[in-house]
Amino acid sequence: MSVSDLENRLNNVRLSAEAAETFVEWYYRCLNEGKPVAGAYTTNNRAYKAANHPPSDICINGLVVATPEEWDKMLEGQRSIKTIDPTSTHAHPTTISTVSHRGAVRYDVEAYDVHVINPDFRIGAPAELLAKPNQGPRLMMLLTVAGKVVFNGGAEQKKQHFSDVFTLVPNWDVIARHGSKATRRYLISSHTYRAY
Amino acid sequence: MAPPTGPRGGTSRPGPARTTRGGGISKRRHNPIKTDRDGDVAMDAAVGGPGNGKLGTAGRGRGNAPRARGGSAPRGSTRASSRIAQNLRTYGADQPSKSNYNRAVLKVLGLKSSKAATNPDGGLRGLLEFLERKASKDKAITIGKNIIDGDYVWINVSKADVPDLLHLNGYSYAGGTLTITETTERMPTADDKISNAAEETKQKLNAVLAKRYNPEARLLDLSALGADDILSSMGTFGSQSLAEKAFKALMILASSQYKRRDEKKEALQAVSIARNDINDVDQVFQLAISLPDLRRLDLSGNNLDSLSKISKWKNRFHYLEELHLTGNPVVNQENYAMELLQWFPSLSNLNGQTVRTPEEVAAALKALDPTPLPQYPSNIRDGGNNVAAIFLQNFFPMFDNDRARLASEFYDSDSWFSLAVIPNSGRPLPWKSYLKYSRNVQRFGGGRNPALMQRLFTGGSLIADMWKILPPTRHPALDQPGQWLIDSHTFPHLADPSGHGSAMGLIITVNGVFEEADASASLYGTRTFTRTFTLGPSKPSNPPPQHPYRVISDQLMLHDWKPQVAIVEQTPTVVAPVPAVGPVLIDDALKLQMTQELSKRTGMTAEYSGLCLSGPANWNFDLALKSFEEQKAVLPPAAFINGVPGPISM
Repeated sequence: MSVSDLENRLNNVRLSAEAAETFVEWYYRCLNEGKPVAGAYTTNNRAYKAANHPPSDICINGLVVATPEEWDKMLEGQRSIKTIDPTSTHAHPTTISTVSHRGAVRYDVEAYDVHVINPDFRIGAPAELLAKPNQGPRLMMLLTVAGKVVFNGGAEQKKQHFSDVFTLVPNWDVIARHGSKATRRYLISSHTYRAY
Repeated sequence: MAPPTGPRGGTSRPGPARTTRGGGISKRRHNPIKTDRDGDVAMDAAVGGPGNGKLGTAGRGRGNAPRARGGSAPRGSTRASSRIAQNLRTYGADQPSKSNYNRAVLKVLGLKSSKAATNPDGGLRGLLEFLERKASKDKAITIGKNIIDGDYVWINVSKADVPDLLHLNGYSYAGGTLTITETTERMPTADDKISNAAEETKQKLNAVLAKRYNPEARLLDLSALGADDILSSMGTFGSQSLAEKAFKALMILASSQYKRRDEKKEALQAVSIARNDINDVDQVFQLAISLPDLRRLDLSGNNLDSLSKISKWKNRFHYLEELHLTGNPVVNQENYAMELLQWFPSLSNLNGQTVRTPEEVAAALKALDPTPLPQYPSNIRDGGNNVAAIFLQNFFPMFDNDRARLASEFYDSDSWFSLAVIPNSGRPLPWKSYLKYSRNVQRFGGGRNPALMQRLFTGGSLIADMWKILPPTRHPALDQPGQWLIDSHTFPHLADPSGHGSAMGLIITVNGVFEEADASASLYGTRTFTRTFTLGPSKPSNPPPQHPYRVISDQLMLHDWKPQVAIVEQTPTVVAPVPAVGPVLIDDALKLQMTQELSKRTGMTAEYSGLCLSGPANWNFDLALKSFEEQKAVLPPAAFINGVPGPISM
């Protein structure tokens, strides 16, 4: 391996770790605060749509989910708690209301690791960016995150293990604006989730 | 020299010197920013200055005017800078610093008995000025931190000035006699005074709690607090806000007696806040925070007149079984009980009446459980060529038996491998063999940590060397039920190793278990893991045996959770144990071909055919066809070339 190859690899390792840190911090904060995450998927990104990139592949516990909005809805459903009508019989309890409860489900990240799987990703990139030498922002990464899902129920607290696998690709809108401080520098082009 | 009789009787100073100090005070009154005697903003502005009463420990300002003193006092910029330095030392002395070695602490007795004690600042300013002025004729003496504590005035001075100041021992000051002694005791601070006062309050509140706690009934009886002699003596009921604060403090103190929540839940099951003139539970809201697991609550004899006055506790107290509201106007409201039953899922006894059976309580509590997402079996969408199944069928037996060969056949110079562990307790197997290689980026604190590179293994030979070190493993067969959860999907836009355009890749995420046998440490047991492979087309230059694909990335995450394989009727897709023929390489030409074929078979336009293939079907032709069959009834006419579905010729 040449010196410049090594330098590139070092640079990519550093950039990918930093990107992973920012992404993980943002993504799980959204989940825990009950905020939508659909905006972070390539499906909803203008540049990727224009480049005919297929919609983000989202697979949740083995179920293919068509849109990121659908995933947000599933998360919302997971957080929701019900109120039982006290006049209904206990054999057939009737739900009066179902409300999303922010504290009902919490994601605690315990570990994550990230690899660069394509150091020169180009789809949807603005031409002026491709004309410049690649200094690292064109990374496609594989990020795996694992931790606990804590369910704060009425009867007792339950825990599950979760594992998230994301492929992340550049958010060209942010990267093209040189020096932009926006945090969402990478978008999710695929997402595989399992919790058990 | 005759002992001076005090400031007023002492040698008169010319006007400016006196007014300067007075000016300093008034200036400070209008300007809360503390300045040192040269007008510089002091470093430690948090502690009250002399203008703020007798608790001040900081130095005293003197305004900007030069002060006549003993002829030899330095002036101008030299003096200013030495003063700044002095003040920096004095104000910045919160942390022990080297300069403390040159400081000494003196205790001065006698101010309390002097006439100056009746001054607004307790006479402190006058005394300090007197000491500074009288201590030495020849040099300027500056007193640093100072504080009145009881009968004593504590002062912090330079060690060099100690003899001069001790010299004033026995002088009379404003009608009192000064006793000055050096001490090694720690100088009290304003914080000490506050915390002493707080400590005293805390003790009194603890006494209230002790008096009102009934260990047999596990009851904290905080009823009729207005009649409590200790609280009344503390002036707790001087105002509404004081009373609320006192209640909050009582709650926090009561809660702090227990380290663990379950301990608290057990020891403090009942609280009475009856007859406290509460007209909104907001006034005692802290109860819900401090004792969320409360089982019995007596609110009777208060002044709650509607449900809205209790609604702030809605969805709190999940375990509240018994509630007393007798004597509150709210009990005259219709249906109030019904509403309360909805708010408190465990409530079964309201004002002594049974309102819900244990079964109904159980159902109401269960409704509060969030619903974990449903679990489906493995979902393998590997482009229809079974690449994932074939790869895994090769991979795990080879990983168990011949890691060197595995690395040389499926990994090349650009492959990456790393592992990460989540070491939880409760498993018999220690984590030692893995921990030093764990690349948990979360723990590395930023991208510049060298461990990021050191724990990343790149290239087949390095990976093979690394694998030699890891303990031997035995994975169950892939067709063994209940052992594996595998998800896989293809994805576009990997760099094509031939250098032409981009290629499809495949991600396989495996959740499973393996047997580990660390013979050197005689450790045998089961581990659970999640391992994610990213596969891409092989480089043409790779040595034989040439597999059509290689591992680009291999991430192994070890944890303590066995995959719970789903028992769900619906099966999106399953692993087909059919041998496959080729790699997963769906390039743009193939996509176009598939789109045209789908369009021909379904009558859909090219656009809709493309959408159908690129959606959940993810370029699996059969899946796309299946999804078309399911969806065709709801597709708009615009989706079809002829406005209607065309025949499907199989």
